[in-house]
Amino acid sequence: MKTKKVVSILFLASLTVTSLAACSTGNKVQNGVVKDGVTTIEFWAAPNPTQQVYWKEVAEEFTKENPEINVNVSPMKESPTSEASIQSAIAGGSAPTMSENINRGFAAQLADSKALVKLDELNGWDKLKESRNMENTMEGWEFSDNHQYVMPIYSSPMLFGWRLDILEEIGVHEAPKTYSEMLDVAKKLKEKYPDKYVWAKDALADPTAWKRWFDFFMLYDAASNGNNFVEGTKFIGDEKAGEKVLGFVDDLRKEDALLTRKAKDPFESGLGIFTDIGPWTISYWKEKFPEMKWNETYTLAAPPVPDDKETSNVNTFADTKGLVVYASATKEQQEAAMKFINWVYSNPENDLKWFEKTNLPPARDDLTTNDTFKVFLDKNPELLPYAAAVPNAIPPMDNSKYNDIQTFIGQHAFNPVVKGEKDPKTAWKDMQEAIEGVLK
Amino acid sequence: MNTKQGRLGWLFTSPYLIYAVVFFLIPLVWSLFLSMTDWNLISPTFSFVGITNYTEAFQSPGVKAAFFVTFKFLAVFIPLVVASSVIVALIVKGLPKYKGIFLIGFFLPYLASGVVSSLIVKGLLSYNSPINEFLRNSLGLDIDWLGTPFAALFVVAVIIAWKFTGYYALILTSGFESINKEIYEAAMIDGVSAWQRFWKITFPLLYPALYTVLILSIGVTFGIFTEVYQLTGGGPNFATNTWQMEIFTRAFSNLQAGYASAIAIIASVVTFISIFIIRKIIELWGKRNGWD
Repeated sequence: MKTKKVVSILFLASLTVTSLAACSTGNKVQNGVVKDGVTTIEFWAAPNPTQQVYWKEVAEEFTKENPEINVNVSPMKESPTSEASIQSAIAGGSAPTMSENINRGFAAQLADSKALVKLDELNGWDKLKESRNMENTMEGWEFSDNHQYVMPIYSSPMLFGWRLDILEEIGVHEAPKTYSEMLDVAKKLKEKYPDKYVWAKDALADPTAWKRWFDFFMLYDAASNGNNFVEGTKFIGDEKAGEKVLGFVDDLRKEDALLTRKAKDPFESGLGIFTDIGPWTISYWKEKFPEMKWNETYTLAAPPVPDDKETSNVNTFADTKGLVVYASATKEQQEAAMKFINWVYSNPENDLKWFEKTNLPPARDDLTTNDTFKVFLDKNPELLPYAAAVPNAIPPMDNSKYNDIQTFIGQHAFNPVVKGEKDPKTAWKDMQEAIEGVLK
Repeated sequence: MNTKQGRLGWLFTSPYLIYAVVFFLIPLVWSLFLSMTDWNLISPTFSFVGITNYTEAFQSPGVKAAFFVTFKFLAVFIPLVVASSVIVALIVKGLPKYKGIFLIGFFLPYLASGVVSSLIVKGLLSYNSPINEFLRNSLGLDIDWLGTPFAALFVVAVIIAWKFTGYYALILTSGFESINKEIYEAAMIDGVSAWQRFWKITFPLLYPALYTVLILSIGVTFGIFTEVYQLTGGGPNFATNTWQMEIFTRAFSNLQAGYASAIAIIASVVTFISIFIIRKIIELWGKRNGWD
């Protein structure tokens, strides 16, 4: 009986320990400094293999030169999203020292919760801005509290791709620049190819917040000269420009030029002849759609603008992500992180390496003028329009309620107009009311 | 029961008790606490907001939608999955041999990842997929599967029914096996038709297995997430916005853990009451057929 009891207790104890161990993330407690005065910093890289390889290589080189700092690179978990993983890690006390892949809106949410370090208060920030030549770029990155929380790694101005071959077939020889030119294309297209659409994209009717970056904000930034949408708790959207954008989308709908159904490769198959294109698509096409050739099959253009607007230096949305340092890191780790960032970005060769590996334009002011990047851009001329558009690119809003705000843009304005359920004026008014409600 | 036996009893039930305390009771108490704060779990400070999160949740279109959408899913998914699993179980029952292999085959979708199956369905239902090309060109049918409210809900219900059919068929097969064959023999002597045999004998005698299947499938309905997240994101116009989807959006997209906890508590109360009522209805039906 005694033996039975002992066995039962042992069994119970092992079961409890096993159950609790299963809940562990396996992360070691980080106190910043480990043996022999070596500071270890945990770096979460974006979950795609290219970026992980890049950061592992750079971290290895850095540690060789700076043996007192060990940069431990690991992939950011994406279960169910990278933002949710970061939130869970912070809540669970297992946040890394720093991570990349952070957009400005999410950074605003984290900054609002005091989870991020103010980078401009760390030693070496000014030197970093100067040595990377990104002082102008950083101006647009300042948060509403006049601090910098994110060091932008890349800034991809979003451009619209046009199927040049199909435009030629309908007698149009260059990408339209204004709304009326585009509506003219829509008419000609439907006349010759009734089954084709100008813009075939299911996301147009989807209220998911981030999807507005790649339709509404591209058009809005172009129509409003990059006017802000929200400042602090105030809605400051440009009503005239916004209504023009919605009116333009409504006009396209009336021409039966929009397809909001999920379709397989709509642009590549020619079902749609216009769509938002980021530089990452170019490398994807090289692998999967070699028939997509710049200036033959497709061309890239800035977003179309209202007829009364200038068609040069058109603003567009910048898909841009950067590095952050988490407030939970120790002072030693924060300093080591800044030293690492400074080391990486004081050498333009590291930005070139990034550009070559990812096709994502480094967020620097001298991308088109610095000789380091010239050879690469000469070899990849389709990336030139992106590099040239960097100064006109507007980063996402820095509001902690960006998710609600952008959902409302879709729910109350963009989606119903695309579906013909609301007129542009009412849609804008409803959207403004909803946004003002959430900003209170 | 003497003290020694009592202690042993506690000892042997303690693994589950510990599990229940760690994974149910503590999270429940924690969730209740969170639901009365404006905390997002990462901010160093937070305030108590009383029942504000609850009153806001009751007025939220997302929460209202989640309430009704779940019942719409119940209305579509339950008949679908019960009918399909009964049919599969009947087919397997009628097989002369290799029943086990066929049952395993039907069970496999249960093991498939919801993400993968959703992505496959997304591809199959895309505008220019062979299915839609055929429907459009041959029958003149142009269906926006994921863009219209009922179609989207139906598609999600079908995927989940496909996933669970094999699993429930397994339970129903054991139910079929437990029915005494002599009852069928007696009925055949009395000249009862196959149709009557099914409705008057098989179906009522299947009650214990059906009861399990119904309760399990109702539980599944209240937990729908992956397929909705992958296929519709809760749209169009909240038409597929389930409780889990709403909780996820609030907690992880909007970083409103307190508010999301309030929704989770409301959802659990609604789930508890609904399952209780439905269970009573099923038991009533069981009693009418002689099951106590």
